[in-house]
Amino acid sequence: MKFMGLLLTVGGWLLPVAGLTWTSSLAVRLILCLIGIAVTLTGILGFLNPAYLKDAVWKK
Amino acid sequence: MRRKKLSILTCYVMLMTFLLCGVPAWGQTTSQPTTSTQASPAPAMSSGLAVKDASPPSADQMAKGDPSGTLTGTVNDVPVSNPKVGLTLGDAVNQIGQNKVAINFVWTLVTGFLVMFMQAGFALVETGLCRAKNANHTMMMNFMVYGFGLFAYWVCGFALQMGGVGAVANLGGTAPLSGEFSLNLAGKAWGLFGTHGFFLTQGGTYDVAVMVLFLFQMVFMDTAATIVTGAAAERWKFAAFAVSSVFLAAITYPLFANWAWGGGWLAALGTNFGLGHGYCDFAGSGVVHAVGGLSALAVSIIIGARIGKYNRDGSSNAIPGHDITMVLLGCFILAFGWFGFNPGSTLGASGNGALRIGSIAVNTMLAGATGSFGAIFYMWVRYGKPDASMSGNGLLAGLVAITAPSGFVNTISAAIIGLVAGLLVCLSVEYIDRVAHIDDPVGAISVHGAGGLWGVISVGLFADGTSNYGGSWNGVNGSVTGLFYGDPGQLVAQLMGVATLLGCIFALSYVLNVLVDYFIGQRVSPQAELEGLDIPEMGALGYPEFVLKMQASGMAGAGA
Repeated sequence: MKFMGLLLTVGGWLLPVAGLTWTSSLAVRLILCLIGIAVTLTGILGFLNPAYLKDAVWKK
Repeated sequence: MRRKKLSILTCYVMLMTFLLCGVPAWGQTTSQPTTSTQASPAPAMSSGLAVKDASPPSADQMAKGDPSGTLTGTVNDVPVSNPKVGLTLGDAVNQIGQNKVAINFVWTLVTGFLVMFMQAGFALVETGLCRAKNANHTMMMNFMVYGFGLFAYWVCGFALQMGGVGAVANLGGTAPLSGEFSLNLAGKAWGLFGTHGFFLTQGGTYDVAVMVLFLFQMVFMDTAATIVTGAAAERWKFAAFAVSSVFLAAITYPLFANWAWGGGWLAALGTNFGLGHGYCDFAGSGVVHAVGGLSALAVSIIIGARIGKYNRDGSSNAIPGHDITMVLLGCFILAFGWFGFNPGSTLGASGNGALRIGSIAVNTMLAGATGSFGAIFYMWVRYGKPDASMSGNGLLAGLVAITAPSGFVNTISAAIIGLVAGLLVCLSVEYIDRVAHIDDPVGAISVHGAGGLWGVISVGLFADGTSNYGGSWNGVNGSVTGLFYGDPGQLVAQLMGVATLLGCIFALSYVLNVLVDYFIGQRVSPQAELEGLDIPEMGALGYPEFVLKMQASGMAGAGA
């Protein structure tokens, strides 16, 4: 789950970066940025953080 | 008689003719366009100047003293390159150039000193928001981050960040900073990191202008490094903090700073891909604060919550700090230091639009004030009382948010940016604490992470296109302009920066801190945490003459 979170985090960044070379449309680049940011936040807060919370000190 | 009248008339007509034809000639100035052969040649730089025409004071006059100041600072103070020739035009012009650079050196250094003093503000804020049993440890982290960060930055951080920035006109050139490692992808040059300036010696960087730039950039880096200490306070091993700070100063911060400020690929989004003026971050909402805030997020996730912060059902317990007066004093020191942070980022007070420093300073003040308004309003409405610590965090959030757009926006936009930041920090603190269950004793993730990202986005919205720092920014002619003033491309460039901060910089910081956790261990033992880190980690109490609550009650409790 940690690895998946890290993958999503980095993948969400690479998506809009790669999009710069795929298209010159401003609207498409904007959408790719927004999707990429959403994917990174999902990776951090939806996968990475919960993976650590499983072993949180307050759950023991 | 008739002949006499004719003569008079003839003379009159001749006179009028002469006058009427002559007036246009008389009315013309000597600046009538002429051919180059006809124009007077420019005086040679080596031509001597008539010094006596400047009426310099005599030695007798100077010997009597100068209480009014009107005799001090004259033509006599202009250095003469050739005493045999005397003062020349070249001497005078050279002095003008040196004066410009000297003004900018002094400006950049003094504002850098103000930013260095912000370390004291951070130390007070963080220590005040922690419990007394951790005061020594928290103070020491903020104290030593200066030394650890400076050393790592001197060794390699500055080189990676600014090694290829090229000429900084305001500082007289910085010509040795000419090494940038780039990858050529899809026909574009993607600058990744600099290669000149290791130990401030390699690559010809033992240079007066480079020294000024190093000092100014170093204190910005240290601001990012100290942010992490707040989020991980009360359970971070001092050794882990030291190594983590070195990694941030040497690798994480310089990488993103190169991409934004050092000639890297983010700044080149405008020239390479037509996205506005590329990623624009005037003083570092992204480069400094978001990098610090997201690194703090990574460390907080790895290190986990303090004992007693959360109950088994996930509900959160408030762990108040021990000295709110220290917190608010620290906030004021930070606000004062921010007058160096933002206006100083012009790197000069002379030339290239640097006179905008007053506007930048006012934007900074306004955003800080409205930030505190936003926070105090939210807390008062929601909880019935104006909370002091959140008001301080609101001020800081406003200051963080205005940092990137401060050089590009007007005062109304600055006030709005600050107000939104103040509200945002309250919402973010609640989300981070109650939904994400990430323990952040001082709110660093929200103030600097969320506030920093909002500041980055604000440039893409509110930049009004009136600034002029030498006619271009990031190699694109014209003024930085946001969506609300007609350039949606700028917003996309800013969002690319946000995605990079979240997806690359957070990930890098996370990986580096996982390594620290693996080899050193990030978190102290539960016993040390409950006792307070002052004795186990530092060997001495921050307040040795005061009996701490847990000692007085005879209980080793989580809330004491």
